[in-house]
Amino acid sequence: MKSNGHHANGASDPAVIAHAARVDVDAANRSITRLQSIFRDIASKAEDSFRERCPYKNAQSRCTAKFGCGHQYFTQNPTDMPVCTGSDKLDYRSAWHIAAETD
Amino acid sequence: MPIVNEGLLKEFEWVTRPGERKHIGEALELADELMQEIAYQLIIGKHLEIDRLTREALDSGYTANHILDNGLLNGMAIVGVKFRDNVIFVPEVLVAARAMKAGMTHIEPILSASGIEPIGTIIMGTVKGDLHDIGKNLCIMMLRGAGFVVHDLGVDTSPEEFADAIVEHDAQVIGMSALLTTTMPNMGRTISYFEDIGMRDEVRVMVGGAPVTREFADEMGADGYGENAVECVDTAHELLQLLKELGGKS
Repeated sequence: MKSNGHHANGASDPAVIAHAARVDVDAANRSITRLQSIFRDIASKAEDSFRERCPYKNAQSRCTAKFGCGHQYFTQNPTDMPVCTGSDKLDYRSAWHIAAETD
Repeated sequence: MPIVNEGLLKEFEWVTRPGERKHIGEALELADELMQEIAYQLIIGKHLEIDRLTREALDSGYTANHILDNGLLNGMAIVGVKFRDNVIFVPEVLVAARAMKAGMTHIEPILSASGIEPIGTIIMGTVKGDLHDIGKNLCIMMLRGAGFVVHDLGVDTSPEEFADAIVEHDAQVIGMSALLTTTMPNMGRTISYFEDIGMRDEVRVMVGGAPVTREFADEMGADGYGENAVECVDTAHELLQLLKELGGKS
């Protein structure tokens, strides 16, 4: 793969330095502030949504957890993520298999 | 230019509030085809595509500012709207955040070289015996957004793994998460391990997770406690400041 010099430790890389010379620092700081604002809204909403919907349940009602849960229903296809059968009305945490060994 | 990317156009339909539609729509009009593609790929969480497209954009002469504003941030703004309106949920947000990180991996060194330095380096992990990672991952998203460099050790992290990562990345702060009352004590055990190996004074320790309280955090000897992902950022700032005042690494 072609190396273009844009990597995490590229502060001394000529390509990075050339790009850095073109950065509008004030505008970049405004962008970072905007990103923080978006993330802050997301985190606040997430905190609320945890009370009523399992955070591991995705938009397709599939379970993304790395641990077992009594609400997981595994389909015939082994590569599919398990279906979440939780109702969102009960405390979903009581269904989680808690020990790391249950993974 | 108008939105020509069909996928992005479809995603933009989720933005229905008039004020937001105007604001995000105007921002998207500043985006050319490549930036629109970056925004779209971020929304659908394709981190490898974001990695490739960001490199391509930089190689083509786009500025870091331009990619950040017109590609990555435009995409994340729509992710935020979709999440707020229950179109997507936490797992999809975290996939988009991973894509954001893939782009920022190329942008951050440029910003850093221009004088916008990372605030600090943090090691994050869920403690030994615990496989729950959503809260930790939200914290990581917030911390990265706030300008911290974060190394994620994942779940089921042993005290030795935390200690090794502190040394490897010269981190100033570690964040430990636990969701279970049965694994919470492993936070205290990790802190004790740092004391045993003479590392305790080098880093500040913050803890969090649903069953963790400020009192428990104090009892186990943690330096900071975050009740949620937003507080986690504030706590990290406070601990870094404390470390500076004590003359530690910064």
